[in-house]
Amino acid sequence: MNRSTWRTKAIVAASVLILLSLWQIGANLLDSGVLLPTPGTTFSAFTSLITQKPFSLNVLSTMGRALRSFLIIFTIGGVLGILSGFSPALHSLLLPILAICKATPVMSVILLAFIWFTSGTVPIFSAFLMGFPVMFVQVEQGVAHISPQLREMTKAYAFRPMDRLVHLVIPSLVPSMVTGAKASLSMIWKVVIAAEVLTVPRYGVGSRMQLAQVQLETAEVLAWTLVAILLTTIGDLLFIALLRVPARIRRHRAKIGDEVV
Amino acid sequence: MKLVSLHKSYLVETKRVQVLDGFSLDIHPGSITAFVGPSGCGKTTLLRLIGSLETPDEGSIIKEEGEDGPFGYLFQEPRLLPWHSVVANVELVLRPWYRDRTVRMQRAMDFLQMVGLQDYVGFRPDQLSGGMRQRVAIARAFAYPGRTMLLDEPFQSLDSHLRWSMVKAFLTLWEADRRTTVYVTHDVSEALLMADTVVRLSPRPMRVLDTYEIGTPREHRSLGDPEFLELQRACYT
Repeated sequence: MNRSTWRTKAIVAASVLILLSLWQIGANLLDSGVLLPTPGTTFSAFTSLITQKPFSLNVLSTMGRALRSFLIIFTIGGVLGILSGFSPALHSLLLPILAICKATPVMSVILLAFIWFTSGTVPIFSAFLMGFPVMFVQVEQGVAHISPQLREMTKAYAFRPMDRLVHLVIPSLVPSMVTGAKASLSMIWKVVIAAEVLTVPRYGVGSRMQLAQVQLETAEVLAWTLVAILLTTIGDLLFIALLRVPARIRRHRAKIGDEVV
Repeated sequence: MKLVSLHKSYLVETKRVQVLDGFSLDIHPGSITAFVGPSGCGKTTLLRLIGSLETPDEGSIIKEEGEDGPFGYLFQEPRLLPWHSVVANVELVLRPWYRDRTVRMQRAMDFLQMVGLQDYVGFRPDQLSGGMRQRVAIARAFAYPGRTMLLDEPFQSLDSHLRWSMVKAFLTLWEADRRTTVYVTHDVSEALLMADTVVRLSPRPMRVLDTYEIGTPREHRSLGDPEFLELQRACYT
């Protein structure tokens, strides 16, 4: 590890320590567990949380909703983004829907969705409406950046439509898809948990946060917030790890002398 | 192949630019015809019309017997799919024509061997030099089962040593399989060494100024010969 990496890590660690110190000082000054519990109280709440029986059920429910939203956004945003990139008519048709999705406040979407759907479906629907434009726009813009030279080559060599899609369009769109997926994934966690707070489904991180807030258990609210932060971070790390899989497979194949075709 | 009264114009901003205005020419089957002309005269447009990448405003392209079917195309750049291996780049263009993957792979490997890249089939294009990438493009064009080949200044970006080695690689493959080849270049000496017929073109709207039939076999051609010096002088005039 080089010197600058050590330096960066040291600065990050110092920054965390400063934040924790400020939190401790603030909690001591306020001297009220309801307004601001100390870091120690919060971590105690966190450890008792994760040992409680429905913890995994709450976390898995939120993860399930986030994952389903992500898959729906990725599929519909990706497919419509590609189609719209090639069809100016579809682009114009989707323009008002996109404008509405982008401009509508998250809370309005959640409240309206709660009128229409059950509490378990609202987080998925809300996350879709918020994340879809991000994925869609990235993929649609990616289509515009597909190399015109390679497009012409596939035309000159009479590639079949499916071959053109699989061997030119999708590989060209990988960077846009990754950017769109990453951005929408970060957004999904926030929207899903916000929707759970408002709609209080039976299980979910947001539901637990809401219940803890009603009971003025501030340490528990903060502990669940910590769980949400960890979920987002682990989600991002898993996504990055997933992106490295194809390169690792290629390297492995190259190592064993397998032909990469 | 007969090019009959081709017309083509483009709208550039608000002005209509006439590139071809009744262009006609007969191209001998199984020969290399080089089009030589100043930059921007419309050589590439003509090639794109022949290759059906664009359609003429008027006129027609009549193919001779045996010239039907697809065109092998060599562009100015190699235009390889960067995420695929060398062999996959060649094999992919064969998919509409050969159902059996083994046949496609064998054909791709054969042509890659002919251009001396048999040891690089698993490499990706970014792992190859510029000359090697262009050799892959040559292998792809020849592996493609068309009887007509279109070349759009494919060696112009290479240094002179590499250029002549590419020309040699191309001619070796071409001599083994004489396809009707239309070749666009602004390099007169390259055209004189490669082509059976050199067509000198005017600036826009493009028309034929002169046509030179070169009878000397390729292996005996030398740019220092009086005949070639005279041709070069005529082409540069």
